[in-house]
Amino acid sequence: MKFNTTAVTRRVFAGLFATALVAPFATPSAFAHIAPCPYCAMTITQDTPTQDNEVALRIGRKRIEYKCVYCALAEAQTEYQGDLTVIAPSEKKGEPILISRKNGQWSAPDGACYVLNAPVKHKVCQEQARAFTSKEVAQKYLNANKDTLPGAKIVTLPELVKVSGA
Amino acid sequence: MRHLFFVAALLGMSASAFGTPSHPLSATVTLAGAARTLPPLPPQLPAWLDSKQNNDIFYKRGAFNFAITNIPALNRDMNGVAVGHALAYEALVTGREKSLETTVWDQINHVLKNPPKFMPTEKSLSPTFGQKYGVLEQVFDWTHVSHAQTIDVLASPRFDNADKDAETTRVWDYYRDEGAPFTVTGLPMNMAWLDSQAYSGAFRRKYPKVNALFWGYHWLQTSIYDGLRDKTPEEQKKMYALLGRQYHDVELYDTKRPFMPMMAETSPLFSAKYPDIANAFDNLHMLHDMVNDILASDWMTGAQKTEQIKRAVYMMSPDAHNGCKPGENRGVIDGISHDHRFMAGMPGMGIMKTGIASEDKMPMSGHAGMNMAGMTMPATPAKGEEFDPTRLMWMPKMGWMDMSQCHHCSMPLTGGGDDPLSAWQNSTISAEGWTMRVRCALCARDMSAETKGGAILSLATEDPNRRVIVFSDERGNLTTDFKGAVFLEEKGGHPKCSQWSQAFTSRAAFDAYVAKNPKFKEAKPLSFEEWANVEAAGTPDTYEKEEGPVENPYAADLKTRGIAPDEGDGP
Repeated sequence: MKFNTTAVTRRVFAGLFATALVAPFATPSAFAHIAPCPYCAMTITQDTPTQDNEVALRIGRKRIEYKCVYCALAEAQTEYQGDLTVIAPSEKKGEPILISRKNGQWSAPDGACYVLNAPVKHKVCQEQARAFTSKEVAQKYLNANKDTLPGAKIVTLPELVKVSGA
Repeated sequence: MRHLFFVAALLGMSASAFGTPSHPLSATVTLAGAARTLPPLPPQLPAWLDSKQNNDIFYKRGAFNFAITNIPALNRDMNGVAVGHALAYEALVTGREKSLETTVWDQINHVLKNPPKFMPTEKSLSPTFGQKYGVLEQVFDWTHVSHAQTIDVLASPRFDNADKDAETTRVWDYYRDEGAPFTVTGLPMNMAWLDSQAYSGAFRRKYPKVNALFWGYHWLQTSIYDGLRDKTPEEQKKMYALLGRQYHDVELYDTKRPFMPMMAETSPLFSAKYPDIANAFDNLHMLHDMVNDILASDWMTGAQKTEQIKRAVYMMSPDAHNGCKPGENRGVIDGISHDHRFMAGMPGMGIMKTGIASEDKMPMSGHAGMNMAGMTMPATPAKGEEFDPTRLMWMPKMGWMDMSQCHHCSMPLTGGGDDPLSAWQNSTISAEGWTMRVRCALCARDMSAETKGGAILSLATEDPNRRVIVFSDERGNLTTDFKGAVFLEEKGGHPKCSQWSQAFTSRAAFDAYVAKNPKFKEAKPLSFEEWANVEAAGTPDTYEKEEGPVENPYAADLKTRGIAPDEGDGP
């Protein structure tokens, strides 16, 4: 998997705002026990110093880790009722996309989009289903990984929710 | 009076010095180009192994008997368990093995879903099996009695926790000393070696669904000890609401489990406190597996099956291990392993599979320095030694782990120094089918917040006979019935977490601790509600992921069962 992290620009205000928004979720950085994904049962790919990989589902006091955003959304729709948040790593280290379900309605920050290679191969699902802060960055990711993700597309949150819940 | 039942058998034992010689049935069988060697029977077997007598001993007298009926759902599930093996064994010995995965599975599953109100006698369900393998059935029955009585003690509302401990020991003594020759040894046995016989794995490969049911109720039978421990009758009922759901929804139908559930994986406190009982139950369950595998091995003749079952019964009996001690390894003698080492920090668990190619021929160096009380063990193998199989075990969903360490922060569970706890007094968390020992109240709470589904936290206090039992729902909300519990949580590094994170039974106990430990004089005593709502702190500073000699030691076995080693229950 190749990442181009140089292309994104953002106003200082927006950056500070995003940091403030994710701070409560960023503190407990990782599940202490490297364990299989509750959905696909594959080993969860750990974060690296430059790239986040671990997805978390936050509900009540629980914070459960998943291997990819598809896995977390799939379980959110079958295993959990009520409001919850999926914390999906983006292309920016330490700045995840927060996908929320409130009163049954899904939402995410403006501009956020997702790369999905369906059907997802769970051995490498952390590469096949990922969140990005913008369409441009997602397209760069697709271009850089044409060989390994030949059928991948950029999808919206409603599309990703629908596919993962099917 | 009951001692009279054993006169014949005991006379037989005393004549054992003149027992059966090595048997001519043992042979090398060639099958599809692969040679499988059946080991001969050891010489001079005790005569009770050939007994045709119908010997029974009834339960030890006690006010605790049948206390399991106070938890009706558990009682009925345990009654259902008795049916499963009996139906399967009867099918296997009456030529109905082809229907095991279909009709017989349906029958067993129906009983498990609709368990009987009263315990059936296995003999009445498997008469042919009983006639053919009477001594084996006696071993099963007698050890099941011990199983049931121990559960009754733990379920009894008549005893406090200290009395339950004393009575548990008396039940074990009764099982071991009452005179029955057909007991199961309480020594730790090398599980990897026992599961590497020529016939090993046959049953789980051929009958995965029925095997899942068997291992599913072995999960229930092993989990229930820590499940019941230190809980009030009301807490026991709440516990079983959670455990029973896991049993019925998940454990009975898990066809991908790599190995039978072990006592120390599901009841680590009980296994640390009563290693001989835990070992006996694991050995019993392993005997079940060995018998299953023998009966499922079509390449063996009927006579060879009978002989190998006899050998399996003998190798699990105390007679086969006279003079052996826990922690010792005398190697393989007369075809029987006398490797009684145990996992570091867990005297109630024999050596598990490591995946090392030459596992069954591993250097049999003893651990003369090992002692049961302190459970000292070198942290790493000495220079030049192979991987030390006592140090790490591999566990489904968890990977490699060191049983002497906290499963949240990787610090030693029993380290001496300021840590006042014994191995069996650590806090635990039960979730997703496992129970893990942890070092402090925070480790238990934070681990539960990071684990899917409901959980039960059993928190050690300053009183070794009282624990704060906490239930977590699926959203991580914590509740307790314990009134007046007070908590200390002055966060620091995890090397000292057992000092700065503790549960107390009362404010007075908290104050006494602080008075004794002035460094906490500024600490605020937290109520349960305050403690339960502290945000999880994330990965402890001391956490380390262990790495074993291979990724998954069960990979090859799983492959023969058509299961990819990294495949779980996911899509």
